[in-house]
Amino acid sequence: MKRKKTLALLLSAAISSLLLVGCSDSDEASSGSSNADTEIKFMHLWPEGSSKKHYDVVNDIIADYEAENEGVKIDLEVLSNEQYKDKLRVLSTSKELPDVGLTWAAGFLEPYVGGNMFAPLDDVIESELSDAFVPGTAEAYALDDVTYGLPLELNIVSIYYNEKMFKDNGIEVPETYEELLEASKAFREEGIQPIALGNRDSWTGSMWYMYLADRIGGADTLNKAIDRSGSFEDPALIEAAAEVQNLVDSGAFVDGFNGLADEEAKSMFMSEQAPMYMIATWDLPNFTTNEDVPQEFRDSVKYMNFPTVDGQGDMNSFVGGPGVGLFVAEDSDVKEEAKDFSAYFVKEWGEKAVEEAGVIPATKVDAASMDLPQMYIDILEELNQASNITMFADVQLSPEVATVHLDAIQALFGNEMTPEEFAKAHEDALSK
Amino acid sequence: MKRVGYFFLYLALIVVALFQILPLIWLFLFSLKSNQEIFAGSPFSLPSEFRWENYQKVWDGGIGTYFFNSVWITIAAIVFTVLFASMAAFALTRMKWKLSGLVLGLFMVGLMIPIHSALIPLYSMFLSVDMIDNPWSIVITYTAYNLPITLMILLGFYYTLPHEVEEAAIIDGCSIHRMFFRIILPMTTPIMATTVVINMIYNWNEFVFVNTFISSEKYKTLTVGIQNFIGQYMTDWGAIGATLIISVLPIIIAFIFFSNKVVEGISSSAVKG
Amino acid sequence: MGLNVMNKVMSNKLYIAFYIAPAFILLMVLIFIPLLLSGYYGLMDWDGIGEKTFIGLDNYIEGIQDKLFWNSALHSFLLALFSALSLIIYLAVSIILASKIKGADLLRKIYLIPMLLSSVAIAQLWVKVYNPSNGILNSFLRTIGVENPPSWLADPSLVLFAIFVPILWQYAGFYILIYYAALKNIPESLIEAARIDGATPFQIAMRIKLPLIKEIVSVTIVLAIVGSLKYFDLIYVMTAGGPNGASEVMASYMYKLAFSSYNFGYGSAIGFLLLIITLIVTLIIRKVTETKEKLEY
Repeated sequence: MKRKKTLALLLSAAISSLLLVGCSDSDEASSGSSNADTEIKFMHLWPEGSSKKHYDVVNDIIADYEAENEGVKIDLEVLSNEQYKDKLRVLSTSKELPDVGLTWAAGFLEPYVGGNMFAPLDDVIESELSDAFVPGTAEAYALDDVTYGLPLELNIVSIYYNEKMFKDNGIEVPETYEELLEASKAFREEGIQPIALGNRDSWTGSMWYMYLADRIGGADTLNKAIDRSGSFEDPALIEAAAEVQNLVDSGAFVDGFNGLADEEAKSMFMSEQAPMYMIATWDLPNFTTNEDVPQEFRDSVKYMNFPTVDGQGDMNSFVGGPGVGLFVAEDSDVKEEAKDFSAYFVKEWGEKAVEEAGVIPATKVDAASMDLPQMYIDILEELNQASNITMFADVQLSPEVATVHLDAIQALFGNEMTPEEFAKAHEDALSK
Repeated sequence: MKRVGYFFLYLALIVVALFQILPLIWLFLFSLKSNQEIFAGSPFSLPSEFRWENYQKVWDGGIGTYFFNSVWITIAAIVFTVLFASMAAFALTRMKWKLSGLVLGLFMVGLMIPIHSALIPLYSMFLSVDMIDNPWSIVITYTAYNLPITLMILLGFYYTLPHEVEEAAIIDGCSIHRMFFRIILPMTTPIMATTVVINMIYNWNEFVFVNTFISSEKYKTLTVGIQNFIGQYMTDWGAIGATLIISVLPIIIAFIFFSNKVVEGISSSAVKG
Repeated sequence: MGLNVMNKVMSNKLYIAFYIAPAFILLMVLIFIPLLLSGYYGLMDWDGIGEKTFIGLDNYIEGIQDKLFWNSALHSFLLALFSALSLIIYLAVSIILASKIKGADLLRKIYLIPMLLSSVAIAQLWVKVYNPSNGILNSFLRTIGVENPPSWLADPSLVLFAIFVPILWQYAGFYILIYYAALKNIPESLIEAARIDGATPFQIAMRIKLPLIKEIVSVTIVLAIVGSLKYFDLIYVMTAGGPNGASEVMASYMYKLAFSSYNFGYGSAIGFLLLIITLIVTLIIRKVTETKEKLEY
């Protein structure tokens, strides 16, 4: 009898400890860390392990800010890219967003703005950051003329190529799209797979489609199709889609590209298995300063703007756009402080980010006064001369349509959809 | 003739074993390579230089805390899961009550929920009781989500236990609790050890719940340590390999220990059976 | 009289409650409440952030008519079928291992290794096996003279089966572990008696061992099928359901809708349909295995 009691006691203790110990623990945690008067929660996606330089720049800025603003403490949470997106998703359903966090532009922020989760930041831009941003970047975070994000990065897409591989095989570096096709064929004849493409992450294939659309139809056709003043069934866009399949059929891309991750494709380029690779400027450190990459390879990498197609198109028109930007949560208890911190962060970010982490910032920086690798200087110059930057389609589109777009891209590249069906899939999704 | 048969049998078993053990060797080589070697070279080629600094990097990344959290969260959840599931299996198979069939059915439904369906409702539930960023939310979630599968495996075993054991115990005046903890539980040691191994694997490798419910560094677990090396545009695969090796070693050791229990338990229960 | 006492003790409500309550409460609170909530979200037009709009069963009706969903369901069913069939192999291996052959213990442990590794590692390994240009598989095929080996993960007609292989491979040790424990629990005296009666090892396996572990076998059938129908991990990491949905399964489709497309209401409805389908399939399986067992007697 006695034994029975003790056992029952033990078990109920076990169960209640399951349910109660937790609560007391969390009380402790929240009371223990609230020494500072104001606490700003900041969530970002540059973990120390993979993005040490970004991580350090962020910590530097935070340390400076805390030193200058006594009583303010920045409470940091760091997640990896995918996990960051998923967590933001979960937090938003419970209206528990961090005070400051990172968002992507355009389509990505639509649902958050629709749900009143992000605070308008026009007042911050006007008072503290007027004329700080590269034109067009802050606008990418605006919906109905209200800006909800402060851009941090600006990326443009180019074709990077391995000059040495061209030379070794006696193949001319192409200057037009037709020459690009010729060069691809020449590489194939040498038994070399010409263009590294990891279309399992189909935003990479999307960039090829977008450039072809830009060169064939001009800078506006695709944008108009997306903002519904035009159509994906525009002949130029159908032609661009058909040209994608022509590229595929001519064997320009590496084998099995639809099953490769971008990272695998990149490694083919970086291990000199493929001479060409289209990517955005976030990979510049790999081609310039990253000591883990052999010097010889970095020396032989050059870039070209996407060439003209059939003599048409403006080579100063780019695909690209701002990457991540800062948002401030609308229902934050420390909204004003959070805004102040964001503005400070953006001001500090630009030069530090480009110099220390190799990020092309969305704020204007004085490249001449900095010690940068030549390729950075060239790319920054390209940016100055850019006639247009068309934002990544999967960023421009709302998340729902973006998913359709990315699936359709895979199907188009896999010859499972005709250009007409490709156009129709977009029209159907956009008209919903 | 029989010998030839045995030869081929062994050959087949060993070939399969090779296929199962290669990943461990591959992972070890992987953990000593650079990103370049990982992607470009053959998976089983030796690295050009052994990059032990991958391990250094992982160590500097604060893996000690993650490790400690993984251990205690895994153990706590296993203890609760296996104890509660054993009790439930006992009640469902040995006791007589009308609703047992229905309750068993409900446990089976519990097996079927996809975790991504549960994630957002669970988050808001924990939020409402102030248990977000609290490791106990992870422990009870692991316990609950492993209960159905643990119970199912135990059930198959409980059905085969001879009824005579309980009858004898009860007639001897043994209380029901004494019977359960002193007789039934020891008899089921082999299958309990099996469920411990299964729970251990699940809890140790889980990261969706941890990532969602935990935000403080001090409560994060090893799987989150892996995420630390996945970047927005670049991923440090060598360091991920090193983290994976560090995280798989204890589980292999624990597994060998518990899987010997599977055999030990048998010899003791065989005497009784 | 003894049985009377026994019945009395074993149907004491207080005792029953004591033993079932901890597990049952956790099940109800942490699994069933979220489950019902997700069923409820399925009735909403909701992106997970803004206002919820009640739309009745529209999401469920749309789901039932959604070709992409049924396409993914078909893939899940195929996985369930293959998982269930592969149980036969695992069972055979376990019977061999448990019949006192030398080194069985070591082999059994080795077989579980893939299960110990996290899916992140498994996915990376198999991506390298399947790499079209320098993967292990295609390198091997080229050396034996296949000129144009397929691009396994890029080919819509192959990708599904290519991805089943690692899943079945990973779980082999899991089932062998369970079967082995069950087989080892069979009293040695029974097998010895049969052997003395002159039964062959095959006869012993079929007539004695299998019937004695049939409960655990039917449990593993359910586990394999339920596990397959809601399977997510490796598929998400290795192909994300692609190319163009060729390896999409129900759980990855649900994830895509709820997390990537911000179609949370519809995603929840799909998650709920997944559960209902799994439930129906499980009930059918239980029925089928039950009648079979009765026939055997």
